[in-house]
Amino acid sequence: MKNILWLFTQRRTLLLLIFYMTLAFILMGLNDSFRLRGMHIVILQGMSWVYGLKGNLTYLANIETQNKELRKQLLEQSIKNQKLQESMLENLRLRRLLRLKDEFQYSYIPATVIGSGQEQAIRSLILNVGKKDNVFKNQAVVTEQGVVGKILDAEDDFSVTQILMDRNTLVSVRLQKSREVGLIGWSGNLWLDLYYIPKDIEVESGEIVVTSGLSQIYPKGLKIGIVVEVKENDYELFKQIKVKPAVNFNKIEEVFVISIPDSLQQEIVE
Amino acid sequence: MSRNKAIYVIMFCLAVMLQLTIVRYIEILYWRPDLILIVLVLFSLRLGPNWGMSVGFFLGLMQDLTSTHFIGLAALSKTVAGFISGSLAGKFAARTEYLLTLLISGLIHDFVYFFIYTLGENFSIQSLLILYTLPNLMYTIILGAFLNYFLEPYLQEESQ
Repeated sequence: MKNILWLFTQRRTLLLLIFYMTLAFILMGLNDSFRLRGMHIVILQGMSWVYGLKGNLTYLANIETQNKELRKQLLEQSIKNQKLQESMLENLRLRRLLRLKDEFQYSYIPATVIGSGQEQAIRSLILNVGKKDNVFKNQAVVTEQGVVGKILDAEDDFSVTQILMDRNTLVSVRLQKSREVGLIGWSGNLWLDLYYIPKDIEVESGEIVVTSGLSQIYPKGLKIGIVVEVKENDYELFKQIKVKPAVNFNKIEEVFVISIPDSLQQEIVE
Repeated sequence: MSRNKAIYVIMFCLAVMLQLTIVRYIEILYWRPDLILIVLVLFSLRLGPNWGMSVGFFLGLMQDLTSTHFIGLAALSKTVAGFISGSLAGKFAARTEYLLTLLISGLIHDFVYFFIYTLGENFSIQSLLILYTLPNLMYTIILGAFLNYFLEPYLQEESQ
């Protein structure tokens, strides 16, 4: 008893440190607990609401400038659209000639980035759209520049996107020129790594890498990035290729979630 | 409430709010400063390890609850950082005390964080150290030096 009392008085700092560390470890152990996860989700939803409010105020403040810019873009897009319609009709005619099947029709759900994971190395983005907006797990997230990632978790009012520069991400891709299929992932470096491209395939810096369409998550032909470095070793079967992502992950503010047809949705979620 | 304590409370609230909102806009490449660590070290150096780790735990917990990854990790690393900072009080010359303490606490903080985060996974710890920990820490120290320079006159009067 005397020893315990002595420990409490003389080693207060140490005991306090052990207490907090134990508490932290207990919390880590309880991460899958329903209550803790529920509380976490409530806090994230609260944050999502606050970010949404802030976003709306900023939006109202910039609406006039945005309007002018959008009208200009509309004109440009309208001209582009006319040209594309011509190309589409031509494409249709050619597809009929070749008797190719139509691809699935995708729709795009606009979303605003309202937060990001606080972790230094592994980052995710929080979007202001969720199940209520038809956003579900494993839907692709893109910007006009290219692929951002996929929906990792969707709640009613918000969702979490796992970006390409996450160590758990692996995407099936295709080199645009050679049409060779590989896998792209991130191993903690500045660029993405393109795996499984054989040494006999000609790859040059500047070649575009797009999604292969072989997975059910990412539609075919979305831009992933550009090859910046190609190396090969005598003792390895595959090239070592570094790819610069098309998207600047630090500056993302608005994204689109690619909504897939209902027939495919159930299959992918499962 | 004394003036110093009021300043600390304001600083803690501001640090958490800014860490959640502004910091991602001042990222350079993938590097971002840790405002909460800056304030925690500032506080722990003046009020000792007991207060340092207590405040570190709660600030870390707030950071955990507002992030998308698992809870308890930032609480643990901030607790350790608060303890180290408080224990290093008076161990260095006054002029370099804050920066050296921030450097040591930051290194240990990041080591604890990443060691547990990557536990059992095949992830390059060298890459993390070179690409994230050290640049992040340098960014944090530079920002911390500025903050310490401006806040020191206000915090000196009542420090223990």
